[in-house]
Amino acid sequence: MSAVVDAVATSPLAYRRRLLRTRFLRRPLAVASLVVVLLFVAAAAFAPYVAPESAGRTDFDLLLAPPSWRHLFGTDELGRDVFSRVVWGARASLQVGFLSTLLAIVIAVPIGLLAGYHGRWVDAIVARATDVLLAFPFVILAVGLAAIRGPSLTTATIALGVAAAPGVIRITRGEALALREAEFVPAAIASGARDTTILFRHLLPNMTATLLVQATVLIPRAIIGEATLSFLGLGVRPPQASWGVMLQDAQSYLTQAPRLAVYPGLAIVLAALAFNLLGDEVRDILDPRTAR
Amino acid sequence: MTPLLEVRDLSVSFANEQGTVRAVDRLSFTLAPREVLAVVGESGAGKTVAALALVRLLPRSAVIEGHVLLDGLDLLALPARGLRRVRGNQIAFVFQEPATALDPVLTVGNQIGEVLRVRRGLTRQETRARAVELLRLVHVPAPGQRLGDYPHQLSGGTRQRVLIALALASDPRILIADEPTTALDATVQAGILDLLRETRDRLGTAIVVITHDLGVVAEIADRVLVVHGGRAAEEAPVLDLFARPRHPYTVALLSATRGL
Repeated sequence: MSAVVDAVATSPLAYRRRLLRTRFLRRPLAVASLVVVLLFVAAAAFAPYVAPESAGRTDFDLLLAPPSWRHLFGTDELGRDVFSRVVWGARASLQVGFLSTLLAIVIAVPIGLLAGYHGRWVDAIVARATDVLLAFPFVILAVGLAAIRGPSLTTATIALGVAAAPGVIRITRGEALALREAEFVPAAIASGARDTTILFRHLLPNMTATLLVQATVLIPRAIIGEATLSFLGLGVRPPQASWGVMLQDAQSYLTQAPRLAVYPGLAIVLAALAFNLLGDEVRDILDPRTAR
Repeated sequence: MTPLLEVRDLSVSFANEQGTVRAVDRLSFTLAPREVLAVVGESGAGKTVAALALVRLLPRSAVIEGHVLLDGLDLLALPARGLRRVRGNQIAFVFQEPATALDPVLTVGNQIGEVLRVRRGLTRQETRARAVELLRLVHVPAPGQRLGDYPHQLSGGTRQRVLIALALASDPRILIADEPTTALDATVQAGILDLLRETRDRLGTAIVVITHDLGVVAEIADRVLVVHGGRAAEEAPVLDLFARPRHPYTVALLSATRGL
């Protein structure tokens, strides 16, 4: 018994890690959603090895072929292997999903924290600026960006990230405003803490759960946003594949080969669902206020 | 004895649309080294506002006037950077609500460690050792294990002890405890008061206890400042105050307690 206590006492961090792992493994939904997310990530990362064919290889002898052993999901109107395109599409979609969310958070969190904590004129300026950004349709923003930089995955990522930032700013600001009233903030000031310490050591860690959940909402939203932009020709360009591009191509063949829309659609739904569920579960597990 | 802290004509007023409200009105008092001063008065008398004004912890809408001299240095005239060095280092606070004054997502060890690292530049091991030592000083049982605990895992009394340890982490010369026992039940209260007295005896920290509980005053104070309506009603050594109250408000306060 005393050995156990000692082990706990000597490394609280390792103890906490073990505790979190146990909590995670006890939740079937958490494990399942993590597995699905990891499958998508692995498919995206190892696309050249997972996909039997390149995204753009055509076979005009096999147009709109039904699923077979050679083509698991069949082929599309140009004889391209649909399964391979879904795998390659995961790469584009996840990349945009992760990077644009990261961009939004990197831009928004410091601004939101400062606005919420400092208040007064900083807050007024930030509030107006986010209103302006929110009033700006993100498609227009993307068109403008594409005009400057040329359409590409990077352009789509930047446009989606910037478009998502105002929402994150508002959430961060609201959280900061609420947390500022908690007594541990004046307590930290009274003990001589700097503003940066209070912002990043006290306020930010207290809102990680909220931000995490927000990120899991933003990732699927960005995946769908990427589809929108690709549909408009502002994102991924053929012959590169993305789920959005595939859906767009499938429109014309909806009556003859609905599966062309079903497979990328399923991929989007599954990815979005898995990210959302994982976010919810992780929030519950990380929150020290949740009962063991 | 020369005073450690001298407060001269401290006034605090808040301005709003209806006009200005004067929460503290020309309050003067002194605090000697190793002294325990109790500030008593009813709710809204301006006790807490006066205490927070000492190191300018009030919202920006507050107008603070007067002088707060710590070793002859006027804290109210200090720039923000100098003030930060005084906060915590010279004058530390223990707040009323142990439930909310600790950051819920940081472990006890992290919270104490943060103060130590920022202030002292200690290494990891030194920080840990010092944190354990501090928790032992405030009589938290099994201090090594508590370091990894989150505030919600602790009892109210233990939280209050951790808060005191946190306040003592930077060796302040003055400890200001705002209603340190109000949120606790009677047996735990006695323990916290013992701890405050022991802190004074062992570390030589001067203590200001803000309270509305004359029982606490009798238990711990050397001298008492009675505040009424933002003004000092009476200031006297504790025994004199209970034996020969001079101000009518003090008499009323004492008889209210005896009536119970």
